Order: sequence, then C-alpha cells, then structure tokens
Amino acid sequence: MSFAPRPLVQPWKRANNARTFLILLASVMPAVITALAVLLTGFDANLAVIVVFLPLQIVAAGLVGLRAFGKRGFGDALLVVVTIFFSAFVLVLLLSVFLSVITEGSKAISLQFLTQNNIYISNTTSLDYGGVGNAILGTILIVGITTVLAVPLGIAMAVYLTQSQSKLRGMVRTVTQALSGLPSVVSGLFVLSIIVTFGFSKSGIFGSLALFPLMLPTVARVAEEALKLVPADLRLAALALGAPNYKAFFQVILPAAKSGLITALLLGLARVIGETAPLLLTVNVNNGTSWDPFNGPMETLPAYVYGYLSSSFSSAHQRAWGAGLVLLILVGVLFGLARFLGRAKSLKSKPTKQKASK
Amino acid sequence: MNSLTKASTLSSEDISVWFGQRQVLSDVNLTFPANKVTALIGPSGCGKSTFLRTLNRMHELIPSAGLSGSVFLDGEDIYGQDFDAVTVRIKIGMVFQKPNPFPTMSIKDNILSGLRLSGRKIGNAEELVETSLRRASIWNEVKDRLNDQAISLSGGQQQRLCIARSLAMDPEVLLMDEPCSALDPGSTRRIEETIKELSSSMTIVIVTHNMQQAQRVSDQTAFFLADDNTPGGVVEFGDTEQIFNGPIDQRTNDYVNGHFG
Repeated sequence: MSFAPRPLVQPWKRANNARTFLILLASVMPAVITALAVLLTGFDANLAVIVVFLPLQIVAAGLVGLRAFGKRGFGDALLVVVTIFFSAFVLVLLLSVFLSVITEGSKAISLQFLTQNNIYISNTTSLDYGGVGNAILGTILIVGITTVLAVPLGIAMAVYLTQSQSKLRGMVRTVTQALSGLPSVVSGLFVLSIIVTFGFSKSGIFGSLALFPLMLPTVARVAEEALKLVPADLRLAALALGAPNYKAFFQVILPAAKSGLITALLLGLARVIGETAPLLLTVNVNNGTSWDPFNGPMETLPAYVYGYLSSSFSSAHQRAWGAGLVLLILVGVLFGLARFLGRAKSLKSKPTKQKASK
Repeated sequence: MNSLTKASTLSSEDISVWFGQRQVLSDVNLTFPANKVTALIGPSGCGKSTFLRTLNRMHELIPSAGLSGSVFLDGEDIYGQDFDAVTVRIKIGMVFQKPNPFPTMSIKDNILSGLRLSGRKIGNAEELVETSLRRASIWNEVKDRLNDQAISLSGGQQQRLCIARSLAMDPEVLLMDEPCSALDPGSTRRIEETIKELSSSMTIVIVTHNMQQAQRVSDQTAFFLADDNTPGGVVEFGDTEQIFNGPIDQRTNDYVNGHFG
C-alpha cells in the first residue's frame, strides 16, 4: 500500500462565479447608492449610514440570499449583515475613542511629561514644563492598595460562595450584587463622612478605602464564576487521595481556576482605575509628588484629567488628553503584566532522562 | 509481585444509607477478603456506587447523606473514633467512573499528587513514578513524555493514569467505580489485566455494569437490587463462578442472564 501526499481540498469553498458576482454586487451597491445620495442631495452622511445604507444592505443581502439558497439563505444573509454592521459600529466607536486619545494625547507625551510633577504649572504653561509623574505614582499607590485589599477578600468571598454549604450564601450573593450597583460618588461620600466625623485629613489611603467597595463585588462575582467552572470531579479526586480540604483547594482547585481569577483581578482593576469622583472627595489633588498614601493629599490621573479639562485653555486640554493616554497605557501595561505573570507555567515537553527499561 | 504493599480485609456490617429522609440502602453485609477481587453488580440506581463510597468515606461529602452500620478495615471501624476520613482515604484508594486527572499538572506530577496532597514524604520520585505507571500498565506509552500535561492523553490512558495515581499511594484496598464505562474495548482489556495483576498486592472492589467483565476479573460477586420505592440491598453474594452459573435466587438468575435490568 503506498501513500502519496495530496494537497488540501475544501469542496465547500469551490468558487461559484455567478454567486460571487451577486454577493459582490450586493456588498458594493448599497454603499455606492448611499455615497451618491449623500453627494447629490447633501443628506447628512452619519444619518445616511443608518437610514439609507443599513436598510439597503439588508434588502440587497436578503435578495442575494433568497436567490442563492431560498428562504434559509434570506435568514442567513440578514444575520450576517446585522452582526457585521453592529460589530463594525461598535468597533468604530471604540477605535475613534482610542484614536482621539492617542492622537491628541501623544502631542503632550514626553519623558518630562511622564516624570515631572505639576508644581508651578498653570493652565497656560507651555507643554515643555511639568507632567503627570505625581499622578501616575498616586494612581498606582492608591489602586495598588485597593487591589491588595479587595482581591484576596473578593476571592475569599467567591470561595465561600462556591465551596461552602452555608445557608447564608444566598444573602451574601445578593448583597454583593447590590453592592456592584453602588454609585462611586456615594462610596466616596461615605468615606468622606468618616474623614469628617473622626477629624482625619484627606489622604491616599482614604481613596483606597473609597475604591474598595467598588472593586470588591466585581472581583467576587467574576471569581465566583471562575471557581464554578472547575469540575466538582477534581475536588473529589483530590479528597479521595486523602487531601485535606485546604490542600485540595490550594493545589487543585485554585490552579485550575487561575486564568479566570486573573480575569477577576483585571476587571476589578479596570472598574476602579478610572474613578474620579470618590478620589476628589477623599484624596483631593496635589501638584507635588507624594509617596505617602497615609499622609496628605495625592494626585491621581483621573483627577488630573478632570482638573485640566475644566479649564478653557488649549494647552490645558493637551495636558488632559496626555494624562488620558497615560491612563490608557497604564491599564494596558497592568493587563499585560498580570497575564504574563499568571501564564500557566509551560510544561516542558522534552523527554525526561530515564534508565533503560528493564 | 510487590512486597511493600500490604493487602487488608474490608468488611461492611449492616450498612444502611440515607439521602435526606429517603433510605437508599438497607443492611448491606459484605466481606472483601485480602487479595480478592469483588464485583458489585446490579441495575442502575440500586445503590452499588453509593455503597462503594461508604467504604472510603467519600459518601459523607454529600451534604444530605446519612449512614448507619460499620465498615471494618482489618477489624478496625473506619467510622470509629480512632480513624478520620483522610487516613481512611489514604489507605483505601478510589478510581472514578470518569477519568479525572488534574489538568494543571504534568503526568509525573499527577502520580506524585497523592503523596503531596496528603502531606507525605516522597522518597525517590523517579522510581515511584515509574513503578506506579508500570503497575497500571501505561509506562511504555508515556515514559517519553512524563512532563506533558495529563489531559493530553487519550481517555483510556487518562483512566490508567488515574489508577496509577491511586497506586502511588500504595493503598491496601482499591475501590473502582465502573472504571471502564467510558473506555473502548482495548483500554478496557488493559485495565482488566491491570486489575488481575494488582490483586496479588491489594484488595479490590469494582462496580461494573458489564457481566462479562465481572466474570473475567472477579473472584466473588455481590448482586444488588432495589425494588420500586424500597431501599436497595444485596440479593446474593458468593463466588463469581457460583453467582453466574448456579445462582440460588431467581432474581439473580434473571439479571445475570439479561432478563431484566
């Protein structure tokens, strides 16, 4: 028996010229008609995309589907058009936000902008002076403390919700869900009332405390879902091997849920890193650089953005955009770092040295 | 074959089991002598698997579970004051119906996981891994990729890996809950051969729905049955030869000949 390798064959991808032409026509015509309508009548282009292009595209795709595959082709075509259109819609929205932050923000960014603080800088100072170094530091310290507090506790809550048989679970879950709807400004107000009542002064640690109830429910809920996905079999297997509960949890269940738990951390981080109101209420702002979250006000990136956006000078707006871009980059770096550190240790596939088999 | 292992006699005395208010097993008295293979047969839902779980205290992990009676391991009650569940499970290993290797661990780490999880010292890891995999007759298939992830193995290999994982604990008794129900005939045959070899060094109790398998691997057989809305129990218990060729009870006769169940 001989075997000669043959090239890959995919009969379902065989070209059908008539059909290809129809599909091409249906994908081009609506766009052309919309463009003409906008050019000739002066119709608003943005509106035209929704009221002219989308209906035309649906009709065109529907007709081609009907022609090629009958009734089911009509449904398929409709689904394709609607999903692609709305994904593109959302994608364009997101990309335009990103793009404007990047194009506007990059004008302000320089090494000096990343490292210097805001002392002696006013709304009209040239971009060659001052920067967000103090705000980056403040955001990292405040959000860092929040993370150190909220992630272990959130995961502990998730463990309680998934591993215990307690009757209180329902109540804990409901309260957690309700907490995730807490407006951030209310959380800030609560901490502010503590500051005022006990005569403390505003400082970074109170910002962390104000962010804490915002991060906790996000971490707890996502971590609960991650732990739920670990098959019950694995726990039983570990217990059947004589593992005490805590070892079954730490050595079997937790590693199996690791990537989900990292997602919980990241979503929690994303929830709080851009919060402005609670920080303005509890941390205040500080043009200088402060390394001490327990003493005196600190600057944070969202507060910096807010501060310069409320001015009417364009150099001030540049600073705000720049700080916005720095915040975006910071989130990206933190996400990348967490994923990198949490990556499953790649199991070596190289064969282990063994004695010759007996 | 393996002198380090000490087989033990396991016996149950008047074991009855409840889930909530519902009694599912009534007065099971069985003895599993050292170095014998005992098959538990019977239709689905008659309580064989539940009974098996009472033998290494996995039963009590179900919140609504209840139990009366005793299980003796070489004369000592495993539900008694001197035993705790962890000690029992170290001495009495278990293989589940569905292969359940630890997905985050390599093949080698799966074998060592039992000792690590139960907090015992690992003497010579390399040797233990090889011996355990050899006893589960999977060594030749995996010896070149011990550091690969366990879930990269086929279903049959995963199940033999799970058997090897239990064997690394050097159990006195091995409980097997339909270990071949998800496997192809080739893997099934290899596991059956493994069971026969293992019986020289340990006591084995196996739940099976496969009559031929019970006849091939076991020395003695217990037939479980639950009539409608009554708790399950043992109808007949004896040498496998006698249960299949000359059952005393008519219901046993009907079951082993495929007339019901």
